[in-house]
Amino acid sequence: MTEAKPVAVGVEASAIVSELRALGIDHVICIPDSYQKTLISALREEPGIRFITACTEDEAMGINAGLYMGGKNPMLVIQNNGIFASINTIKAIPLDARIPTFIFVGQYQRDPMVPMEESRSRAVRMVEPTLDVWGVPHWRLEGPDEIGNIRAAYERAQETLGPAALIVGAPTL
Amino acid sequence: MERNEAINILAEGRGDAVSVVTMQSVYPWHQAGQGEIFHVDASQCMGSASSIGLGLAVARSDKKVMVLDGDGSLLMQLGSLVTIAGQSPANLYHFVFANGLHQSTGNQPLPAIGQFDWVALAKGAGYADALRIEAAEDLIERLPGIFAMTGPVLIELTIEREDREPLWAGVPMAKQTALLREQLGAS
Repeated sequence: MTEAKPVAVGVEASAIVSELRALGIDHVICIPDSYQKTLISALREEPGIRFITACTEDEAMGINAGLYMGGKNPMLVIQNNGIFASINTIKAIPLDARIPTFIFVGQYQRDPMVPMEESRSRAVRMVEPTLDVWGVPHWRLEGPDEIGNIRAAYERAQETLGPAALIVGAPTL
Repeated sequence: MERNEAINILAEGRGDAVSVVTMQSVYPWHQAGQGEIFHVDASQCMGSASSIGLGLAVARSDKKVMVLDGDGSLLMQLGSLVTIAGQSPANLYHFVFANGLHQSTGNQPLPAIGQFDWVALAKGAGYADALRIEAAEDLIERLPGIFAMTGPVLIELTIEREDREPLWAGVPMAKQTALLREQLGAS
């Protein structure tokens, strides 16, 4: 009997942080997420990155906007439910006000053995369709071979002056 | 005091502070000639003025940042008081225009009017200080001292009810963002 292989595997937090440092990220605004627990810990300790914990994703997008207006290079770390919670702010700030908003979205409650589209969790299944409805481009991070998608999402946010999301499909290591 | 009185006093005393303004203070702020220098409106984002102000204050610790918030707006992102306190931006001055109403949507009353206290909320959240000013002459007298305080400071301004249609400046936030970045040397 062959063992089932996971659809998504975790990526080392250190590799992600290296990629973010290469992109010049200097501020991280975070709403805690269990899927990115190790990444959050690493970012908290990373010299040269100011780590800001906000109470809601709405706040996080406002803080991101203010930092950008002031010349900084910030990003957000949130979970899938946070996308649903902050749709009005996504409309008003990243989209209408044209603020580059680079967002890591942890797929909280996703079983890495199951494709996102088939997840029993409505949040896991609906996050990408929700982003599509609002025209927010997104990429997946479902293994170390997809680490280049971090740069792809970041560059899209900068080029379009808008939002771009990286869907973190397995717990970071 | 009347909103326009407060706006004119703040415009006069602003110096080169960066301003973030929301809801029914936007139009009079532009009318007072403050809309094109070191300024952005917080439009259509339901309470984000304080958060945008925090981001600016963290990004530019060399400049004072003033937020002209509404009491109804701030209630929509009340947790931002705690988030701001957590970052302790010494250069952030958070003015809350408190009329107890959602004026932009027709003067509907806020919940629990007369039962909650902005000064207590800000101090309880961890702001460096908070105070209430009820009269225009007191605002004139105290404003220089306020800008000399170490932030974050919340200043509750007691504002009279206005019975008029809502007014908007109509300047796109995207345009303001680009201009502000240019003025701050960020672009």
